[in-house]
Amino acid sequence: MDTRRIGDAAVVSVGGDIDLTTFAAVQSALDAARGQCTVLVLDLRAAGFMDTSGLRLVISQQQRAEADDYRFVVVPGSDRIRRLFEIAGFRKGHPLFAGAPTELDGGDGA
Amino acid sequence: MSTAPEEDRFALLAAADEVADGTLLLANTAARLLGLVVPAFADVATLDSISPHGDLRRLGSRVDAPRAREELEAALLRRRPLPDAPVGLPRAIVSSESQLLASVTDADLHAIASSDEDFELLRALELRSALFIPLRARGRTVGALALGVGTSGRSYGEDDLRFAEVLAGRIALALDNAALSQTVTGLERRLEATLTNLAEAVLVRESGGQIVFANSAAARLLNLDSARAVIEATPQQLMDLYEVFDEDGRRLELADLPSSRAGRGEEAAPLLVRNIIRATGDERWLLHKATPVFDPDGSVSLIVSVIEDLTEVKRAELAQRVLAEAGQELSSSLDYERTLQRVAELAVPRLADWCAVAMREGDLLPLVALAHVDIGKVARVRDFEARHPVHLGDPARAAEVVRSGEALLIPEITGEVVAGGPLSEEALGLARELGLRSVIVVPLALADQPPIGALTLATAESGRRLEETDLALASELGRRAAIAVENARLYGELSEIATTLQRSLLPPDLPAMPGFRMASLYRAAGEQNEVGGDFYDVFEVPGGWMVVVGDVAGRGAEAAALTSLSRYTFRTAGKLLGDPIAALEQLNTALRESPSLSLVSVCCVRLRTGDGDAYADLVLAGHPPAYHVRRGSSRPVGVFAPFLGAYEHGGWEATTIKLDPGDQLILYTDGVIDTVGVEERFGEERLARTLSGATGAADAVRRIEHALVEFAHGSQVDDTAVIAVERTSAGPVETRAPGLDDPARVAPN
Repeated sequence: MDTRRIGDAAVVSVGGDIDLTTFAAVQSALDAARGQCTVLVLDLRAAGFMDTSGLRLVISQQQRAEADDYRFVVVPGSDRIRRLFEIAGFRKGHPLFAGAPTELDGGDGA
Repeated sequence: MSTAPEEDRFALLAAADEVADGTLLLANTAARLLGLVVPAFADVATLDSISPHGDLRRLGSRVDAPRAREELEAALLRRRPLPDAPVGLPRAIVSSESQLLASVTDADLHAIASSDEDFELLRALELRSALFIPLRARGRTVGALALGVGTSGRSYGEDDLRFAEVLAGRIALALDNAALSQTVTGLERRLEATLTNLAEAVLVRESGGQIVFANSAAARLLNLDSARAVIEATPQQLMDLYEVFDEDGRRLELADLPSSRAGRGEEAAPLLVRNIIRATGDERWLLHKATPVFDPDGSVSLIVSVIEDLTEVKRAELAQRVLAEAGQELSSSLDYERTLQRVAELAVPRLADWCAVAMREGDLLPLVALAHVDIGKVARVRDFEARHPVHLGDPARAAEVVRSGEALLIPEITGEVVAGGPLSEEALGLARELGLRSVIVVPLALADQPPIGALTLATAESGRRLEETDLALASELGRRAAIAVENARLYGELSEIATTLQRSLLPPDLPAMPGFRMASLYRAAGEQNEVGGDFYDVFEVPGGWMVVVGDVAGRGAEAAALTSLSRYTFRTAGKLLGDPIAALEQLNTALRESPSLSLVSVCCVRLRTGDGDAYADLVLAGHPPAYHVRRGSSRPVGVFAPFLGAYEHGGWEATTIKLDPGDQLILYTDGVIDTVGVEERFGEERLARTLSGATGAADAVRRIEHALVEFAHGSQVDDTAVIAVERTSAGPVETRAPGLDDPARVAPN
């Protein structure tokens, strides 16, 4: 797990799996990274496996961002993770994927 | 006239030599020497020693006088020579030269005297001549000799001075030897005093093993009255006073001890032994250390043993080890009868020779665990117990402890205790046969609760006597055992509750749906007592049937509650509204009311018929697609949409497919496709392939089950649920009038 700033955005990059045993650590990293940024990015390009606990984390984070008025963006990575988001109703082009810094390979879920 | 004839002089010298060679104490040496000199060579003599620091000390005085001899001797003994006198002892000492006063004058006396009184004393000696000789030995002035003649009529000349010097040489040696001996004895005394007062027991043996020195700590340790008693006993006699074992419980003989090994010239590493005093039954842990002392020729001359009493330390260590091992054993398994037996085996022989645990069972107190190193004896006792089961009301000690909840220590089972106690003749006989010495019985009880059993520790063969520290340890062991048993029972109950709860969350049987056939598969991933987060349900709705599969993330009580809520909310809404999307929206609203984010993924399908054809309206909510199998080929069905409980509006969509006879529709939870294999997960593609060629609902489920078993590697974390529906024949799907109190439904728990 890795956290850095790119302009206004705080980016948390996750390697490895996000599941029942690891999601708490990712949540902590997101909480710590939030700080004063206007955009919080979850970078899943290097992530391996993700299950419903990861999705739950994303949805929860989404709701938090809405409540505290900042953007929360997800950069999906592997096909498997994109598929997972798809199943959860986040299609390609969903706003969840828009707004990441351009260095992070697009960010529109393309 | 010369003072003494030649032979007498030689005799005097020889006598002085003897004194020099002797081992008399200093005071005695001085007296002997003065006795030699007076009256043979002098009428008056004083002998002084000089310490290495130069302090003059009068060792003795001798006067041979007709009158007032004792007063004169005493006065001379007390007298201190005048340090600066031009003649006399101090001068002789300082100059290291002897002096002869051939004719003593009053002027000489005045020069020597320190006072008028002193002058009178010197006058009273009636001195005619005097000799003052420094005594030198081993390069040092060790003393001074003053000799005087007068009352005997003799006088001294140059010859006498020379003789006196020769004699002085012998006398000086005698004094020095005596002084050295004093010093050595002094050292010896100090050493002895030190050793005597050491806390550690010190023994010194000859190479044969006989003890030649023992300090009081040794006597105490060996349980003897005095160091003398230790020295007077033979080594084997001493050894016979105790039972001695090594740490592993092996009996030790005298020859095994480090001091014996050292005596034989072998390597003698420190040895920790368990030593039990036969007479009292007291047990100590002693560390024996032995060091040989060698003669110049290399043979063993002495063996020095130090014995350290480590009882406290060792006991504490053992107690902790036994408790820790017992604790581990007790928490390792729910089969408490087996763990109690293992715990009893752990306690023996380290804590006692016997360990038994009895547990309440109704009115009885049967033996659950019994241990002793000799399994023959164990069988004896078990046999006895089988023939004489203990009732809670019996006077037997274990029953007494269970009734009272109070621990019991009988340090010494004397004849009266056994006879006067509540045991039968046969029990008495058994106790005697086993040679029981000491017993502890503690209750197995949690705080403020009536005991559920009793734990007994007893000593026999080891001869050890149990005491308060053992009682504390046994009580702790009893407490932990009680906790473990209670936990096992609670766990058993919880397990039962969980199983009941789990059963309530599943439809006990798939109802018969006319026109359809169904098959299902359910596997909870967690332990037996953990309720899974997956659920499925099949119920009648207006116009058809609803089949649903759902997945609540997580495990345990919270997940179970959510699972329960989801299933029953959906069922109620479904029965009322008949429409899958409407029912989902109801569930969504219910979930959103929860204070924490409660997400549920669902795949539901309503089965209906129109014009003799069957249709399935399928909705997905945060769920992977269902599979439609027709004539051997499978394809995914459904439109992806969000989880329930996430957003106010979910935008769920229904996909309608026609089910021809033979078609199957397979619903499943993500546990299936997330199943972990050797290198990857099961995945959707593999599922699709597995289902291709399925001939019916039962076949479809069988294929999936088989494929999962083959594929799975290691433990799985997610639950698995599968429902397969197969359209069997053409014709309308019969439905009864729908009702919420349909008896085919499972009663909620």
